[in-house]
Amino acid sequence: MHLHLINDKKSNMRKKLLQCVLIVFALCHTAVFAQTNKITGNVTDELNIPLSGASVMISGTTYGTTTDANGNFSLTVPTNASLLINSMGHSDQVVKVSGRSTINVKLVKGESARLEEVLVTGYSVQKKKDIVGSVAVVDVKALKSAPSTSAMQALQGQAAGVDVVNNGSPGAPSQIFIRGITGFSNTPLVLIDGVQGNINEIPANDVESIQVLKDAGAASIYGARGSNGVILITTKKGRSGAPIISYDSYYNFQIPRNGSELNTLNAQEYQRIMSSINPSSTLFPGGRFPDFIFRGPNARGIANDGDPAVNPSLYRFDPTDRSKNYQITRLNKAGQGGDMYDAIFNSALMMNQSISASGGTDRSNYLLSLGYLDQQGTLQNTYLKRYNARANTMFKLTNNIRIGENLNVFYKDNPQSAVNGGFGPIQGSFNQLPFLPIYDIAGNFAGPFAGPANFELGDWGNPKAELLLTNNNRSREYGMIGNAYLEIDFLKHFTARTSFGGAITNYYNQVFTYNEYWRAGGGSNNTLTERSGFATSAQWTNSLAYKNDFGAHNVSILVGSESVENKSREMRARGDRFLSNDYNYLILGNAEVRTIPTSSASEDALFSVFGRVDYSYSDRYLLGFTIRRDGFSAFGPDKKYGVFPALALGWRISQEKFMKNSKWINEMKIRGSYGILGNKEGINPTNAYTTYSQGPRFSYYDINGTGNAIVQGFFPQQNGNTFTSWERNKLLNIGFDATIMNNKLDLSVDYYEKSTDGLLRPIQAPYTAGEASSPFVNIGDVQNKGIDINVTYRGRASKDFTYSVGVNFTTYKNKIISLPDPGYFDQGIVRFEENHPMSSFFGYKIVGVFNDSNQVKQSPVQQDAAPGRYRYFDADGNDTINARDRVHFGDPNPSFTMGVNLGATYKNFDFSAIIYTSQGNDIYNNGLEYFGSFERGISNKSKRVLDAWTPTNTNTMIKKNELGRNFSNSGVTNSDFMEDGSFIRLRSLQLGYNLPAALLKKVGISRLRFNLTAVNLLTITNYSGLDPEVSGSGVGFRGQDAGAYVQEKGVSFGLNLGF
Amino acid sequence: MKKMKNKLFIICTFSVAGIVIYSCKKNFLERNPIGQISSVTLNNKAGVNGLLIGAYSMLDGTGINNWFISTANTSVWNAWAGSTASDDAHKGGGYGSQNERSELENKKYTAENSILHDRWRLYFGAIQRCNEALRGLDKLPAGELTADEALQIRAEARFLRGVYHFMAAQMWKNIPYIDESITFSAGNYKVSNKPDGYAWAKIEDDFKYAAANLTPTKTQIGRAHKWAAKGFLAKTYMQQAKLTDAKPILDDIISNGVTSGGTRFQLQAEFSQIFRAKHENGSESVFSVQMSVNDGGEGRNGNEGESFNFPGTAGTQSFGGWGHQPSFNLVNAYRTENGLPLLDTYNDADVTNDMGKKLSDPFTTHTGPLDPRLDWTVSRRKVPFHDWGLANEEANIQGGPYHGKKWVYWKEETGSKGSELIDGWQYASGINYNLIRFSDVLLLAAECEVESGSLQKAEELVNIIRTRAANPAGFLKKYVNDADPSLGFSTDPAANYVISTYSGANGFVAKGKDYARKAVRFERRLELALEGHRFFDLQRYDRIQPGYMADLLNKYMPEEVAKFEFYLPGTLTYDILKGAVFIKGKHEIYAIPQVQIDQSAEASGPTLIQNPGHN
Repeated sequence: MHLHLINDKKSNMRKKLLQCVLIVFALCHTAVFAQTNKITGNVTDELNIPLSGASVMISGTTYGTTTDANGNFSLTVPTNASLLINSMGHSDQVVKVSGRSTINVKLVKGESARLEEVLVTGYSVQKKKDIVGSVAVVDVKALKSAPSTSAMQALQGQAAGVDVVNNGSPGAPSQIFIRGITGFSNTPLVLIDGVQGNINEIPANDVESIQVLKDAGAASIYGARGSNGVILITTKKGRSGAPIISYDSYYNFQIPRNGSELNTLNAQEYQRIMSSINPSSTLFPGGRFPDFIFRGPNARGIANDGDPAVNPSLYRFDPTDRSKNYQITRLNKAGQGGDMYDAIFNSALMMNQSISASGGTDRSNYLLSLGYLDQQGTLQNTYLKRYNARANTMFKLTNNIRIGENLNVFYKDNPQSAVNGGFGPIQGSFNQLPFLPIYDIAGNFAGPFAGPANFELGDWGNPKAELLLTNNNRSREYGMIGNAYLEIDFLKHFTARTSFGGAITNYYNQVFTYNEYWRAGGGSNNTLTERSGFATSAQWTNSLAYKNDFGAHNVSILVGSESVENKSREMRARGDRFLSNDYNYLILGNAEVRTIPTSSASEDALFSVFGRVDYSYSDRYLLGFTIRRDGFSAFGPDKKYGVFPALALGWRISQEKFMKNSKWINEMKIRGSYGILGNKEGINPTNAYTTYSQGPRFSYYDINGTGNAIVQGFFPQQNGNTFTSWERNKLLNIGFDATIMNNKLDLSVDYYEKSTDGLLRPIQAPYTAGEASSPFVNIGDVQNKGIDINVTYRGRASKDFTYSVGVNFTTYKNKIISLPDPGYFDQGIVRFEENHPMSSFFGYKIVGVFNDSNQVKQSPVQQDAAPGRYRYFDADGNDTINARDRVHFGDPNPSFTMGVNLGATYKNFDFSAIIYTSQGNDIYNNGLEYFGSFERGISNKSKRVLDAWTPTNTNTMIKKNELGRNFSNSGVTNSDFMEDGSFIRLRSLQLGYNLPAALLKKVGISRLRFNLTAVNLLTITNYSGLDPEVSGSGVGFRGQDAGAYVQEKGVSFGLNLGF
Repeated sequence: MKKMKNKLFIICTFSVAGIVIYSCKKNFLERNPIGQISSVTLNNKAGVNGLLIGAYSMLDGTGINNWFISTANTSVWNAWAGSTASDDAHKGGGYGSQNERSELENKKYTAENSILHDRWRLYFGAIQRCNEALRGLDKLPAGELTADEALQIRAEARFLRGVYHFMAAQMWKNIPYIDESITFSAGNYKVSNKPDGYAWAKIEDDFKYAAANLTPTKTQIGRAHKWAAKGFLAKTYMQQAKLTDAKPILDDIISNGVTSGGTRFQLQAEFSQIFRAKHENGSESVFSVQMSVNDGGEGRNGNEGESFNFPGTAGTQSFGGWGHQPSFNLVNAYRTENGLPLLDTYNDADVTNDMGKKLSDPFTTHTGPLDPRLDWTVSRRKVPFHDWGLANEEANIQGGPYHGKKWVYWKEETGSKGSELIDGWQYASGINYNLIRFSDVLLLAAECEVESGSLQKAEELVNIIRTRAANPAGFLKKYVNDADPSLGFSTDPAANYVISTYSGANGFVAKGKDYARKAVRFERRLELALEGHRFFDLQRYDRIQPGYMADLLNKYMPEEVAKFEFYLPGTLTYDILKGAVFIKGKHEIYAIPQVQIDQSAEASGPTLIQNPGHN
């Protein structure tokens, strides 16, 4: 951020120039000149609360300072100077020095003060009043009120049009969508101090401000990378004044769900249903529950107490060779479905410590911060430990040359292997049979290995074992992100800036799997996989800004260029069959069998030039025009470049004469913008090339018939497309900002239409085109229409009591306008189809359950139709159910999302709450595919099967319990597992207390605040899964619950201390 | 002064910056893909040959595009769609796992069945690999290959393309035919599968071309050769019931054919040698998939099909029941009377088995006369399981008392060329799979002779097969010491093997055409059991005698269920097969994967049309 804000329009140009020169001299030779004065002072608000960070500038110059945490400043000034004092949210004040050495200023929250707020926009800063684009300003204070691991996580519900989906797994990235889904990659551009970076690695404490650029008027300066929105993060900087040391800390005690919330069958219920649908079960002969299961080299089965087969003297155990094992397991007949879940989840502590020192002089400022985050996951053996260090500095070499840098270095330790989704331990805890205990009679892990016949006990793992035995996994990463810059002001109106920055990450991880002797399928050998690699991104940005006023005309112009280069490389290797499971023994060299190591690499580059003109007339009529030309290496030779222009207009009605006298309306602006933005996310750097690959497993063959030697061969890896180019998004935005009711209410409304033309996606070719992966191509058109509303009301009930209510509301309608023939394509259970929203679920829609055979006869012809099975919707009405009757049965896009921030202060107490809601979105509960119905296979089941159809229980929507899939139960994708995913969540509830300043002063402390926060205290939802906040990865999986790590409730204690 | 200096500095900075940017820019956005092989790299002799090897490498059924289709789903010998879907075997294992395999057996599968999809992707991915070699060949600069070299590559590629299409046509009959003009970049890949069965003629063309141009022998033994092409051409005719077209080719192969190594085709001396790594590529190999292990491919180039019936590390303890367990019906077919099979009554009594018996219960193996091939095909309790020891797994209540053993490696072959562990627990063997072995050719020829009325000729062909099976040297023997298999085998047969040839009053001529037809088909079942042919053999018989397949399987399925219930009354049934029905006119060919139909759609609708009866 570079500040050059002060413009005293009325002063004579020549005089100003002279002053400048004078000041330059003054600064260079302070000791010599006697006409300067060192002044000190203090800036407070109307309530005498010190204002930190207020700027104190010599009027008409760019020379000045900012106040420290106590509102104090000191500055050397000419005796006859005027000071211009400015603080966010307050009216500017000009004070004549007049020879004084102490100047105390009280700023008032004057008219349209907030409009003077300076916001970081593309490559520059602008006053809020001059902005014609749609920019969401995040309330950073509210953002920090809930304990979070990253700024990203905290962003949820904080800005209209910004949808963040979090995941409970320590270190798992959040997903962010700005204004819905308009393409296949919706990752917004995130710039940290102007450098593209990973928002997940930025602690919320390091953040000074976050702005989200949403429309063409705001984001098009980022051209081809702007169409998914741009998040601009400015990190904290030092301010001139005495050093400030602050310490922030929180301890968050996370409380896991109770296993009973899984709603799964207990052992008795399972046995009862299984015996009824499979009377021949060998596990429950004659419908009786056995006491034991056992298995040895020549024997296996079930047994009751006293049976010689389960005499403990027979027990044998060899952890590396289970074929020698004789395992005996006593079944847990009192087992509750959630036992296994409770066994793998614990309450866990998450804590964050950060300390920072900042300060500065007239000529420099610095900020140094250190952070440590330790989030223990509620799922055992999962954690994130992250160490951060930040150093931001700035120096003025001369009065008009500044250099500076921002740097964040982090190291993290975050093993995450196989925890989320799939067949990992969380899913295992849902699905493992409720009577299988964790341990056998000798304390070794129990599982479906023992028992009557393979797979009568299913093949789910032992979740506890899987977790405990992740102890040899490691995952470490270190990285840095930052930039160094040089800024030069020259010829009075010009500023040139060059910035070189980027990000580097290096990572190493290893995954060690034990011999899973307890499993039914196979007691695999132990294996060690090691992976390491690096990724670098280098960015060089140059810009030249011009700013001048000609009477009522204000003009600013910016031109610049930017290059970005990304490189990465990774290497992987695996070894099998280690003699020992001891961590210290595990290097690949000790493996009995080593697979051939592989590596991969990628590289791409982006080059852009851009320009921007902002013009305002008489502070009333605003115009902004931006244009950017981007070139990207992954596109073919003729398709590399794209030009992205945008025009924005604004009218500050409140400045018109006829409005000036309105008492009620303090500020009102109408703005509109139209522009074209681009997107290239998801593009593989090799997209333009047709490539081949090879590998012993894939394309080598023993053509010589040797039996153990293969000859090299190739296979087509990827079809290239040189015609692929930028996805173009046309954005129309009409917005309205107002400050009314004596500055108590801020209102901002935006209507937008976004249509994506030349949608980038991998073409989906049938296998008649071969196995090679398809390139991304530009096809299709998606349209989003939506409204974002932001309302903030600030009230004061008494001298001591203030309160605020902030609401941000987002709604959008999303529709695919066109896709190439046949007008649709599929991804799993999702069909993307013309005239339907993105990511909607597709398959047979269940109308009900066949009550009886009569109803079967009267219904359309349907394969495997029978009483108790599903009755499908006959979409084409031809009395036959077939593939043409599949419909879009669910939509994961919410009708609206809303965040509500409540705040209040009473004397030294403060209170805040964040409520977040998502309404009208559907969830496809993938987890239920296994534990929702018996025909999917052996596993524990959801309690919903207790209400299944039977000849006597026909008034139900749950199909009958049976074995074996077919067309009319779960043999085809249908709407069985779709649910309403609406929820309201009280994300945080915080009570804070500031110790009185007077008291603290005595012990040399400037600020001490305690807070107590309840996190995710309450969630209201009808969704049957554990957490309605479902984070499916990618557009094709949105709203699909694969049994992820849920977000837990927590109680947090925080401390903020300043010296 | 200061200002001037600044100005100068700025101008300098920006001009330097400008120059740097300009000079960088020219190449800055030109980035070649890293670590990838381009078509230019392959535009030479080695490259084209490598593309062809890539096409060969799909014969083992694994390795399509970097992801592993479940290897057991795509194994070349097609256990699920070819074997358990017929009367040869059960999927086994109940509903505990792998339901989609069960659904192929009990015909409850839908067009969303992933095994069908996996096989579709395997075949069409492989077909395009063949086309890659052909396209690569066409692009080669002049002089890179001699005309002869080019011709051999072209003929081999077309041979393989024919093979993959043939396997797909067996599954779905109405398939699109994909030649080298079909490419992603041309955008013409949505190829219709109409008219019905049109691909057969194209497949014939590929094999005709290969048969005309391939050399009879090859220095690299795994390569396609003239006689392999003729074998496939004959099979292609046979599958369409074009017996008169097939017959002269089969006769030619029998009279004149040689292996790729130049050996005259003839049956190997002992039946079991076909399933031993050390005897592979012998005189019986018309075209073999070259399986290899311990080659750096993590077992993925081996014969993975029978991995669930492999011996566990504890001797003969198999994994028991996850897949591919021979049916009662199949095992009973090996009962003999006067050395001949009981063509009509074989299933009226069961070979003694341990169904319902615990391992601790007393058990005596079947004492009645048996065809010796049974014990090389099926593992039964207390019968030597290769050199691993006596089979001693308790009968699996859900899959029956039997296991397949043809591709289970011997203990003495462990490691090296015999076996490799995949993913730490599943075994691949190095035993080749014969896509066509000479027995197959002889028996197809016998079918032709029966239909054309040359019963004597048919009998002679069948008797060649039976004579080899009757070679006492080839009988499975008892161990010298059951407790220590490493001491080797005695000279006593492991069971009461009685087998003879058809002749005289029991001969084909005496008993007539219907009997002969039945005997030829029965012989084929005994000889090729569990090799994945049975379902497709039934298809062929059905094309000759419509309704044959439905009638046979609708009789078989309830009979099997009844046998399970007989051994374990009241408590045990083979749930998978209970109530299963084979629908005539539908289940003879499989459902085309719905995903592929959906993806084939043009504006007017899908270009792939679903097979009759399937949704």
